[in-house]
Amino acid sequence: MTNRIVLALVILYLLLPLGATLVFGISNGNGIGFSSYQEIFSDHDFSATLLLSFELALASTVLAVVLITPTAYWVQLRLPQARPMMDFLALVPFAVPAIVMGFGLIEVYSGNNTLLSILSLGLVPLLSNPPFNVVNTPQLLVCAYVIVSLPFVYRPIDNSLRAINTKVLTEAAYSLGSGWWRTFLTVVLPNIWPGVISAALLTFSTAMGEFTLAELFGIYTFPIYLNVTGQNNAHKAASLTILSFLLTFLCVLGIIFLLRRRPGGAKQDERLDIVAIK
Amino acid sequence: MAFLKLEGITKYFGQVTAVDHINLSVERGEFLTLLGPSGCGKTTLLRMVAGFEVPNAGTIWLDDDDITHRPASKRPMGMVFQSYALFPHMTAEQNIAFGMSIKRLPKDVMQQRCAELLKLVGLSDKGRSYPHQLSGGQQQRIALARALAVEPKVLLLDEPLSALDAKVRVTLRNEIRRIQQQLRMTAIYVTHDQEEALAISDRIAVIAKGKIEQLDYPEEIYSNPRTVFAATFVGTSNHLQGVVTFPAEGICQAEQYTLHIPPMPHLHTGDRVLVIVRPEGVTIQEANETIDSEANSATGNHITGVIELRTFLGPFTRFHVSIDEGKTFTADLPSQQARDYYVAQKVLLSFPPSACQVLPLDAREVEAEHLTEGEKV
Repeated sequence: MTNRIVLALVILYLLLPLGATLVFGISNGNGIGFSSYQEIFSDHDFSATLLLSFELALASTVLAVVLITPTAYWVQLRLPQARPMMDFLALVPFAVPAIVMGFGLIEVYSGNNTLLSILSLGLVPLLSNPPFNVVNTPQLLVCAYVIVSLPFVYRPIDNSLRAINTKVLTEAAYSLGSGWWRTFLTVVLPNIWPGVISAALLTFSTAMGEFTLAELFGIYTFPIYLNVTGQNNAHKAASLTILSFLLTFLCVLGIIFLLRRRPGGAKQDERLDIVAIK
Repeated sequence: MAFLKLEGITKYFGQVTAVDHINLSVERGEFLTLLGPSGCGKTTLLRMVAGFEVPNAGTIWLDDDDITHRPASKRPMGMVFQSYALFPHMTAEQNIAFGMSIKRLPKDVMQQRCAELLKLVGLSDKGRSYPHQLSGGQQQRIALARALAVEPKVLLLDEPLSALDAKVRVTLRNEIRRIQQQLRMTAIYVTHDQEEALAISDRIAVIAKGKIEQLDYPEEIYSNPRTVFAATFVGTSNHLQGVVTFPAEGICQAEQYTLHIPPMPHLHTGDRVLVIVRPEGVTIQEANETIDSEANSATGNHITGVIELRTFLGPFTRFHVSIDEGKTFTADLPSQQARDYYVAQKVLLSFPPSACQVLPLDAREVEAEHLTEGEKV
């Protein structure tokens, strides 16, 4: 009985602000109505910023997962001595505020620092000047999002790699004639899939809701639109919050669906399909 | 030239020499076991053969090909791991087919070969099971089938039975031997279990501190150990350190005991030796005045002692007999004959010269023997 009361209180604690926001969003001076939602859907900025944020989040997610997953695997397999360094690097974004990183990136790619040019092997000057100027572009924002989400990507993937016997599975695959990439894609990746999906979800959520960097870079994303709207129309902002929540909720559902359908789900009645592992 | 030949193989991990100039030849179809304690370098040696480690020095020849620097995925080896290493997201059949799919064999050939291998390891009905649905023994059988599926020239087994319970271990080791003989497969097997090594191998390489102590047939390893380590590591044995007094007659003095050993004309008076007596070579009698007075007669060796511990081991019973302060002698008697003896009973232990294996000791070994005194018997 006590458990149920505690559970009910927790649910209430979580849902009450959401309920209040929903009610506030649909209420106006005269009563209840969906005018705020009509306003949102007819606002061009809503769809434009939402689409841009979605694209940035998707690009950040893909880049982060594609960069970090093989790296974490490589470190686990060949460079275990580099693991403390990776752990440290994965914690840095927690310690460094986004505003510091934002200014740092702008400073690096806007200035003309000889030392940086040498250290980056000429990459910084190349990316700071036309035609490849990345300052205040969505591309640089994507890179910044990848760094911000590093702890959320590296941790779950590294934990998944530790949970399976990565080294022995890799050696078993090698002994059967498999090369590094095939082993990674057909043996390791399917077994760390839950970690990869978690990493993707967390990166996507972080990028979708990120405000500081986008503001500093002057890119009009959905969180900035939300902020601007909140300053002018509180009812519309509340409805936007609900829409944002629904969007996140749908993403979580999608991830859960993907996790359930992950490769290697132990279904006894599954037919042998040798071609599938080719 | 031997089918698989290791020449001067050396491997360092930092300052530690894991494998020290090992030379080893394995004939086609032979079952060779690398036997030794943990950390002796046996697994490192196997991993170098598999291609998971690169030797710092030496050459590995397989069928006249130098494969020393060939990557593991390009070597014609099949490997069975201690932890099974089955791919968790694949069924047993898919695990077995993995290597064949890399070789791009036709689907029907793969399916036929899967069925044959599942039959060979006695798991025809488990093809569609996932690893987590199989017992440890079944998983290791699938791992064996998977290693055999790629038709390797050499099968490498790294302590494949260590994670299994005792009964399954015995059954599976017999299965491994049967399959190896049936397929005439060259196999290298790593274990620290001397009983397993003696039971399964054509030849055994006893390894200690990165070096081969003795490479021989199991019977020879047990009956005629060439080094103190081989003698102490393989089988249970009693040790008596002594000094040769009459080499030609085969007499040595081990503290207060004058021991009759086989004649040792190649030794000199004053040479230090280690006399090794296996427990099954020792007989027990009730101690009495008559026999005590005749102790250490020319026909054999007799030592009196008091039974400290009596352990029933099924077909035989093991007695730990205290013969001196802090020294224990072990004797095995058929359980039928062991009924008359009990703990705290004074008994006479007897063993003929032929039951004594004698190894010359150098100064280093004398010291080592002293250090391991407590672990010997």
